[in-house]
Amino acid sequence: MKTRRALSESAVAWLFVAPALLAIGLVVAFPLVYSLWLSFTDVNLLRATGPAVELGALRVPLFRWIGARNYTQVLADPLYWDSLWRTLYFVGAFVAEATVVGFAMALVLNERFPGRPLLRSLLLVPWSLSRIVVGLLWVGILDFEFGALNGLLLRAGLVDSAIAFFKEGWSALNVLVSVYMWNQAPFATLLFLAGMQSISDDLYAAAEVDGAGYWRRLWYVTLPALRPIVFLVLVLATVNGFLMLDLIYVLTMGGPGYDTTTISWHGFKTSFTFFKFGPGTAILYTLTALCLLMTVVYHRLVLARFEPEG
Amino acid sequence: MAARGGYRGGGYRRRPVGSRVVLYATITAVALWLVAPFAWLFVTSISYQKNLLARPFHLLPPEVTLDNYRMILGLVRFHAEGQAARMLASMWNSLMVGLVVTAVNLVVGTTAGYAYARFRFAGKTLSLFALLFTRMLPTIVLVPAFFLVFRALGLQNTLTGLVIAYCSFTLPFTVWIMKAYFETIPGDLDKSALVDGCNRFQAYWRVVLPVSGPGLVAGGAFTFMLCWNEFVVAQILNTRPGTTTLPPVIAGMNGQINIDYSVIAASGFLGALPAVILVLVFQKYMVQGLTAGSVKG
Repeated sequence: MKTRRALSESAVAWLFVAPALLAIGLVVAFPLVYSLWLSFTDVNLLRATGPAVELGALRVPLFRWIGARNYTQVLADPLYWDSLWRTLYFVGAFVAEATVVGFAMALVLNERFPGRPLLRSLLLVPWSLSRIVVGLLWVGILDFEFGALNGLLLRAGLVDSAIAFFKEGWSALNVLVSVYMWNQAPFATLLFLAGMQSISDDLYAAAEVDGAGYWRRLWYVTLPALRPIVFLVLVLATVNGFLMLDLIYVLTMGGPGYDTTTISWHGFKTSFTFFKFGPGTAILYTLTALCLLMTVVYHRLVLARFEPEG
Repeated sequence: MAARGGYRGGGYRRRPVGSRVVLYATITAVALWLVAPFAWLFVTSISYQKNLLARPFHLLPPEVTLDNYRMILGLVRFHAEGQAARMLASMWNSLMVGLVVTAVNLVVGTTAGYAYARFRFAGKTLSLFALLFTRMLPTIVLVPAFFLVFRALGLQNTLTGLVIAYCSFTLPFTVWIMKAYFETIPGDLDKSALVDGCNRFQAYWRVVLPVSGPGLVAGGAFTFMLCWNEFVVAQILNTRPGTTTLPPVIAGMNGQINIDYSVIAASGFLGALPAVILVLVFQKYMVQGLTAGSVKG
């Protein structure tokens, strides 16, 4: 056996990961820190002078440090808190719907029936669409004038006049939840299915010998074995719920009024409609803090359960 | 790594008639829920707007037309051809950005994923946690920084800028998926390559990578799909006509009152098709790669 130990394992490993970590440092860590800095300054996009970091031809403006004033201003705005409570409702409802529907679809797809592979393929259709297209196609179904659902309901005589799904705030918010669920639940189904297939047949056989029917097997065998997957789905859905922006853009633009304005939409509008980068990045940073919290939860609760040694 | 067969959870023996009826009713409901909305997008895209507005409502369009597609492809003149003319150019932009980002991800992300799967090294746990965090990060928080830096660099309204920005949310995913994939390849393969006189890099490049096709397909297809579907970053950074990707163009048409829904539906269907086909073709690999990448730490 040759022994050419020019480099220690650690050094080789760092050579392998260096390009990726360097790239991530440039395109994630640097913008992240710069955005954090912006949230403590009075950003004025029209001002060309002022403090800046200069690297040759590159001139990155630093703007004037104003301490936590952006944060106090943002947190003093009732709209921020309204958006936060609305976001919490949105996330809660979305996580519940995506988990329940995702699990139900997994139960169906775990059965044996002709056409099962086809149905499993179809599962990926909603998930592979751009959210712009997802919003667009649900407009075709829910629209007041030409929506297919309204057409069907009217024709069946179930309603006297078409339903305006997006006219009233509460209804619009819940439509957003369900449309996002339509797009995202299939991924939860994939995770649940993977978990279901790793459950030993012996457990089901033993349960059956003990006289357990379908629902008892589900409750005493399937669900306990899937507990780590349930955690995983809950955490991923929570993060996705907090971050959702594009569907709001196509479906409601945060309205009517502010009735579908979530924290991420509020931060997006403040930053890029009104171009107030200072308060905007402050809002978005509160969202980032929530996501950091979810990362810790994911790390502790989910990954630790799959790999006991950590 | 074929998916394990076998059907569990009950009901794999003869079912009583009643439960069979319930099962098939449920299957039909699930199939309709998954496909009917997308199928309806197609139906609207080959209909005339006047027939969509007509009441009583018809599930099957009384007239079928390709006019909507002719309009968005610039084959016929109509009042909003300015917006529609951006369709093909933006599809080309989407394709370029998606391909370049995918290539960068596969080269850089795969190498890192391999190291995370195989080596023990100082800083591994910490950098993995940092990667996990970047995966959960709201990309929108980075965009003000990209906006200002790209303005300084002259990268606004360029595809290069989009490629850079897109790496921020794709690279952490790719590293993660590839790490999970390499963990499924037996470590003995690398060990015997080392015994045969390969160095670490040769063992990776000449021995492990050639048998990693399924993992590369999973990571590559997923990256491309994310880029093809991305909306918010492109909408903010590339505002000059002709420089942006497909989703902002479709959303822009959707915001125009003077464009019929049937025309927008055609652009949505055409724009969705490449990603749907990609996912359906590579579904086996993508499903394995993604579930492993989410479940494993």
